[in-house]
Amino acid sequence: MIPRTRDSRIAAWILTAPLLAFFALMLGYPLLVGLQTSVSRNQLSEPIVSFSGLDNFFRILTDPDFWGSIGFTLQFAFVATSLQLVLGFLLALVFDRKIPAKAALFSAVLVPIMIAPSLMAVMFRLILNENIGAIPAVFSLFGAQVSLFDPAKVFPLLILLDCIQFIPFTFLLFYASLQNISDELYEAASIDGARYSSTIWRIVLPILKPAIVVVVLLRILESIRNFDVIYILTGGGPGTTTQTVGIFIYKTAFQQGDFGAAAAASVILVLLLAPFTPWIIKKLSTSEKQ
Amino acid sequence: MRFRKSSGGAFAIALSAAFLFNVPLLGAIFNSLRSDEAIASGALVWEFDSGFTHFQNALGAAGYDFPLFFRNSILISLGAVILVTVLAVPASYAVVRLGFGGPWILRIAVALRVIPAIFFLIPFYLMFSRFGLIDSIWVLILVDSFINLTLALLIFANALAEIPLEIEESAAIDGANVYQRLRHIVLPLLAPAMVSVAVLTFLFTWADYIFAVVLTASDATTVTVGAANFVTSYGIRWGDISAAVVLSIFPPLIFALFAQKFLVRGLASGAVKG
Repeated sequence: MIPRTRDSRIAAWILTAPLLAFFALMLGYPLLVGLQTSVSRNQLSEPIVSFSGLDNFFRILTDPDFWGSIGFTLQFAFVATSLQLVLGFLLALVFDRKIPAKAALFSAVLVPIMIAPSLMAVMFRLILNENIGAIPAVFSLFGAQVSLFDPAKVFPLLILLDCIQFIPFTFLLFYASLQNISDELYEAASIDGARYSSTIWRIVLPILKPAIVVVVLLRILESIRNFDVIYILTGGGPGTTTQTVGIFIYKTAFQQGDFGAAAAASVILVLLLAPFTPWIIKKLSTSEKQ
Repeated sequence: MRFRKSSGGAFAIALSAAFLFNVPLLGAIFNSLRSDEAIASGALVWEFDSGFTHFQNALGAAGYDFPLFFRNSILISLGAVILVTVLAVPASYAVVRLGFGGPWILRIAVALRVIPAIFFLIPFYLMFSRFGLIDSIWVLILVDSFINLTLALLIFANALAEIPLEIEESAAIDGANVYQRLRHIVLPLLAPAMVSVAVLTFLFTWADYIFAVVLTASDATTVTVGAANFVTSYGIRWGDISAAVVLSIFPPLIFALFAQKFLVRGLASGAVKG
């Protein structure tokens, strides 16, 4: 750090002022609006907004649909994150070897990162469509049926699609971490007679542990905010079986017009995450060690 | 031992993965390039549409609003890139190099990544409708900049921490003030991080769906919302939809493929370090 002088202190304020003003407008003010709305009766059908105490919170906390959406969100986050973690890591190990056309294959694997999830969802709808979709057509050659509207198949399909979108991301982070492990370490292990599998298990995985924790946290947090893909594909259906908490909040506000309840649900969601937040912040804070 | 030898098995797995991850895109390209007759006669029937009718339709020949959505997405994404850079570069310099505010600003940035973006959906909607600003691309530039600022601050903070202090110190001894050092010494060295932030902000802003759904009506609609609405409202124009989606995907995809090195570095730096 540069020694602090009066000039540099003034400069620091000047350089940070735009960001602080922006945070006041886009963070401070919306936080107040959100908290105020959560304790208000604020419905599209009624022109007058009035104070309603904790009424919205009671209604959300006793709403089985809200808890259903929390349950589905957690279930989805858990299954999707586990699969993406394991498969992304295995794929990173594959790419850590010498393979032909590696650069081209690497770029091809990264393509889903560069595609908006909502556009990916539109393409999934097309490719799963019963009239023009290649996937149902190929499966029907073998006498099997694939449909997003089949309640038994919708969950695995959504998981599969989430994996196609996000394994490239877990893969990339693991691959980047693997590049930091020196050849000498592998050689030392091999001289000591370690097999490939035990080298991975006992040397590589422990070294990657901090990266794994960060990937798990980022994927779980991302899954909690998952909205686009599931909303475009199923709208939360059939029924409310694939309703994430994001879809619940969106529908409460913009389909039922109950902004007070939706704001309360948002506050409850943050409060549910609150006990874990200090730990998560500690794990994700990487740049404070200068 | 690390496998440095070429292996057929590894190649086969990598190739299948590369194919599998691109199945949705290949499907859309396939449908966008074949004729309506082929589409009508079966999911796997191929007949090349040499007139590129679907692309012409998507680009305005059939009266869809896609050219407008395109313009909006490009303006919003570029606007967010500029605003994020202008806000985050000087501030992260002040935090990392001038010790501004201790660790608090970076902690807020990390904490913001924990709060689901959906938390801000209702407040943003109520706030901007109170000001009568719904359906404006300026509002989406503000919102998408807010969403991307946290990652940008972390990437810049990491990059700044890697620039040797000595370079700046010797410039300070030569009489350069803070702004001159930032402008002439730090900024050029931050260029790679700025490209990373630009690529990621562009991609993530282009990808935004939920805020665009809620905060736009028609004039400021983006390609993501346009494409999703397209599927529901023009249900059977499959070829046109596919062409519209392919067109929506390609600008950021090409940009990101060219800048892949910076994309990879940015994602790794913002997520995993130390």
